Amino acid sequence: MGTISSAFSIMSQALDADQEALNVVANNVANATTTGYTVETPTFEENSPVTIGGMSMGQGVTETGATSARNKVLEARLDQQQQLASSSGSRLTALNTLQALFTPDTGSSSSSAGDIGSDITNFFDSFTSLESLPTNNAARQSVLSTAGTLAGDISNAAASLNSQRTAIDQEAAGAPTQINALTSAIAQLNQQITTTSPNADAGTLEDQRQQDISQLSQLVGINQITSPNNGLAITTTSGQLLLSGNTSFQMTTGTVDGVTNFYLNNTNVTAGLTTGGGSLGGELTARDQDIPNALSSLDQLAYSISTTVNAQNNSGTDFDGNTGTAANPLNIFSQPDSVANSAINMSVVMTDPNQIAAAAAGAGTGDSANATAMAAMSGQTFVNGQTPINFYSNFVTTLGSTVSGVQTENTAQTASVTQLQTQNDTLSGVNLNDEASQMTTFERSYQAASQVFSTLNTIMASVLNLGEQSTVS
Amino acid sequence: MRELNERRVRPELKQLVVEASRALAQLDADRLEELAQSCQALNRELERSDRDARGVFAAEAIEARGDMAVFARVLEVTRANLNVMTRLRDLRMEQLEYGGRHANRWGETESKHGDN
Repeated sequence: MGTISSAFSIMSQALDADQEALNVVANNVANATTTGYTVETPTFEENSPVTIGGMSMGQGVTETGATSARNKVLEARLDQQQQLASSSGSRLTALNTLQALFTPDTGSSSSSAGDIGSDITNFFDSFTSLESLPTNNAARQSVLSTAGTLAGDISNAAASLNSQRTAIDQEAAGAPTQINALTSAIAQLNQQITTTSPNADAGTLEDQRQQDISQLSQLVGINQITSPNNGLAITTTSGQLLLSGNTSFQMTTGTVDGVTNFYLNNTNVTAGLTTGGGSLGGELTARDQDIPNALSSLDQLAYSISTTVNAQNNSGTDFDGNTGTAANPLNIFSQPDSVANSAINMSVVMTDPNQIAAAAAGAGTGDSANATAMAAMSGQTFVNGQTPINFYSNFVTTLGSTVSGVQTENTAQTASVTQLQTQNDTLSGVNLNDEASQMTTFERSYQAASQVFSTLNTIMASVLNLGEQSTVS
Repeated sequence: MRELNERRVRPELKQLVVEASRALAQLDADRLEELAQSCQALNRELERSDRDARGVFAAEAIEARGDMAVFARVLEVTRANLNVMTRLRDLRMEQLEYGGRHANRWGETESKHGDN
């Protein structure tokens, strides 16, 4: 083999390899928006050296196609789905606890929040009773009693939400210990793999690395970036570097506004981790979105009821002939200064039932016009433009809808993980014929399921739309 | 009585949908094909049914709506997974193709330079 020929060969192969790499990159670009598509990495393979005149000459590289990444693509997809399933799973756990708090007591279970919906109805109904018996002490006691139950249940619900938030925060705060251990282990494996097996599959070491990546992706949302010599960098889904080659970056924690925040390289990455996936993402979503949203609704409800009812009571005349003043207000509930923390601080401050102003201002004690006005408040839209009971009902309905949505996502993602895990287990080490058979099963399953869905959808549409006939032939 | 008889001979929609989601998660093609046939039979039954029977169907449909949403999402992720698997198969096929082409090219280069 001549020298010039060898040189041309090396150059020619380098160009070919570049071209193949470009093809793979072009393919990536073309598929960038395809759901579930994972970017391929072109793989170069060193050719055997050529000996010329006693000197060993390199033979360049050959692109072996992107198929060396075959299992890695599937594993990356599996990791991606696992981190989504972990995230929705941990969020769902928190949401179920949250929802149980607002589920009325049954024979077998009880909620620390009681039944706020019934409490609201009972409270305003007590004014209806007072309306007909304005001088009756029992009717007045009933108003304070139902007010106490309402305030107690709202306050207890808020306290339970705060406790749940604290518990989730503590659990999340423990995640960096596990994350750091895994990123350190993966960095060490990177070092070993790039040293011992830069151009080929590193066998057991790669298996170990994959297992650690899989565990890491269940904890936190990650992106994987392959680098030369079988190296690997891992970032959070928001792009913060967790490890690169043999260097790992430790995640640290700090407290901001009473909750744990997470840092990488002195950058606060909490927001990115919340939306990023993994069990930590799910916990942070519950801690920073779901629970605060629920608390915010309760605060709004408590604030509106307390301020509006107090204002109405102060506008009437109590059993002793007094009207509320700034110095001596006739407040039934503690008067909140702002919406925030209204729920947890809600309580009944009135101890004397005679201070309930059933009569209109200036009217005698036998009058009940103000009690009528307070009873009528149950139908007035003073809580964010809604009646109190509708506001609460909508809050519970929205919460139920959120739980249902997350449940659906979690079921679908878990199904996806099951499918991919089965494929991953089945395809490793099988020949092309077995692989084709597996693909056929996959395609048959999808097609049959599509047919099931399509037919059921038609049936449902048919029976739910005024009995119109199905269009399915 | 008639409703009871109908219920006895066919599963409720809700059960059917849940079963389909489970079978799809496990890629149980045989079971899914059976279910597809059951659904077609159910559709034919619906077309022949009277107003009362349609009422029963409607009640079942309302009950199964949440499970249909789950089934739709499972179907969606399955399509994405199938895309990934199809891409992987294509890559594997391309590998064989690349290997053959490089071998041929090497031969052509050598012979054209006439160094052999």
